[in-house]
Amino acid sequence: MTTPSQLTLVVLQLVFLGLLWAFIFAVVYSIRSDLFGSRVRKLQPDASSAASSNTAVAAGPLLTPGADPAVAPPPIRRTTPATASSVNHGQLASSDNATHLAITNGTKAGQEFPLGSDEILIGRSSDCTIIIRDDYTSTHHARIMLWNSRWMIQDLDSTNGTFLDNSRVSTPTPIPLGAQVKVGATTFELRR
Amino acid sequence: MSSATESVTAAPTPPRGVRRLRRPQRVRNLELLLLVAACGLNIFAIVLVQLGTLRTLNPQVFILGTGISVLVFGVHTAMRFLARDADPFLLPIATLLNGLGIAMIYRIDLANHETGWQSAALRQVAWSTIATACAVVTIIALRNHRVLFRYTYLAGFTAIVLLLLPLVPGLGREVSGARVWIGFGSFATFQPGEIAKIALAVFFAGYLVTNRDSLSMVGRRVLGMRFPRARDLGPLLVVWAFSMSVIVFQRDLGTALLFFGLFLVTLYIATGRLSWVLCGLLLFIAGALVASQTLDYVHNRFENWLDPFNPARAQGASYQLVQGLFGLAHGGFVGTGWGLGRPDITPVSQSDYIVASLGEELGLTGVFAILALYILFVSRGLRIGFAGHDDFGKLLGVGLSFVVALQVFIVVGGVTRVIPLTGLTTPFLAAGGSSLVANWIVVALLLRLSDTIRKRPRLVIGG
Repeated sequence: MTTPSQLTLVVLQLVFLGLLWAFIFAVVYSIRSDLFGSRVRKLQPDASSAASSNTAVAAGPLLTPGADPAVAPPPIRRTTPATASSVNHGQLASSDNATHLAITNGTKAGQEFPLGSDEILIGRSSDCTIIIRDDYTSTHHARIMLWNSRWMIQDLDSTNGTFLDNSRVSTPTPIPLGAQVKVGATTFELRR
Repeated sequence: MSSATESVTAAPTPPRGVRRLRRPQRVRNLELLLLVAACGLNIFAIVLVQLGTLRTLNPQVFILGTGISVLVFGVHTAMRFLARDADPFLLPIATLLNGLGIAMIYRIDLANHETGWQSAALRQVAWSTIATACAVVTIIALRNHRVLFRYTYLAGFTAIVLLLLPLVPGLGREVSGARVWIGFGSFATFQPGEIAKIALAVFFAGYLVTNRDSLSMVGRRVLGMRFPRARDLGPLLVVWAFSMSVIVFQRDLGTALLFFGLFLVTLYIATGRLSWVLCGLLLFIAGALVASQTLDYVHNRFENWLDPFNPARAQGASYQLVQGLFGLAHGGFVGTGWGLGRPDITPVSQSDYIVASLGEELGLTGVFAILALYILFVSRGLRIGFAGHDDFGKLLGVGLSFVVALQVFIVVGGVTRVIPLTGLTTPFLAAGGSSLVANWIVVALLLRLSDTIRKRPRLVIGG
């Protein structure tokens, strides 16, 4: 094997440094969703019945919390916001009386999610517990956590805000059972 | 109606074992891709070292270059079964840093004409084997990080025992003034302080999860800040006194700074009170000032830091610091090239001063790349802490990744004369078995944490 010239070594050195930086940019490119939030997608309506509700919500997401029940899809075990808050008004959700979270409005209306003792992170990022991929949700939008065995909602400085019974959440707030929590175009409540 | 039922049956948690088996491992495949790239870069580095120093290639390339590759692919394969959803970036980044370290150590071996088991590079490969094996064992043995919470106080006790081990007569070794080593026989030396940092991170996380309310809720307000009560201040004072006694008895500034910083940060994360951090920093500055006035070797470190080019000192006490700075300056923007500089002039250029060696041969571009790798590693760790579901996991994730960040800052800051030089190893890069083992265990713990976080049932709305 011939001895490499000085020029070859310099070129190889530059190639090495280039590849080193290429590796770093490959990693950064792979985690870009962490830095800039994941790609925004238009919500695909599940069915024609859901489509009308979806467009209604999309048209005015912040102005119409708790969309008109008449155009909402027919979900399983659906409680209308009005009845829910009137029935359980004032009783705060705690680890004793709340067992699951139910989506009441949005594309996945009717879906339920079990409550454990861990906090629930809501947002567009893939490391959230509840991932909502719509135009109005921030990467890490809000979280629901147990504080002295009470379920609290905390807004994580989201762009479009988190709403508890139509009022914007600014400090960690206890959630009453059946109160409507709105994140982006999705509304949910805590149930027994 | 049927569509609504469909969306409900597509539940967030599919029955265990049914859908999981068929799910493609996208995260692991990304990791594999990055691992191949990292191993390729490592082999390229070794090849360049040989071309630069020997002007030819010899079979040593295969031992040094492929040794670590085989190992990390072993870890990767194990993770496909044991931690499928773990973070895909930690392993490739750690691999690349470890490999760059081996290449630089090998380069200095060649300059010093070390071969066989005298060669630090070969020993580093052997230690990498042990370290990655430890990482796999950690991932296998620890199926859930919350198990560690049960052993909070045991971890604290272990940390203290490990730190005190070098003071045991007959077991402890004194190397260049600092008594932080233990030795078995003549060859194997070990720095128990490196393992102690993991035990301490576990202890701090566990202790603060249970005690943070009493620390953050009560206290007197002075000048708009709430200061904790004296009895709650107790643990802070104990840890402060402990880290200062480590300085006095073991002459190890770096470890003391590392542990104290770790404690302050976990305390801040747990309580969210800046007053604690201010209290701690004031105590540390006060302690450091007193130590620099009363303890000779601390005073010398300060003198070397403030005035290294003084002719009275540049050939003696601050020789290493000055040579390191000359090395960095010689490197310039793109470096002299692998094997073409003179990093071997600096004493211990393969361990404490490996950053200066890499800075000489890879230049500013290379050092920034290495720092960027550390930033990515730490940011992944902090992110794991942020996304954690339980307080213990959060504190542990933040603590472990912060300890890596602070260690890099202390070492690189010392070499580049930002802070006084203290003896700590550069994580993953520096020659030294205990440091490698400890940092690969940190990787394993972070992988396990991230796997637990992502494996939980999730609900995906849209997309």
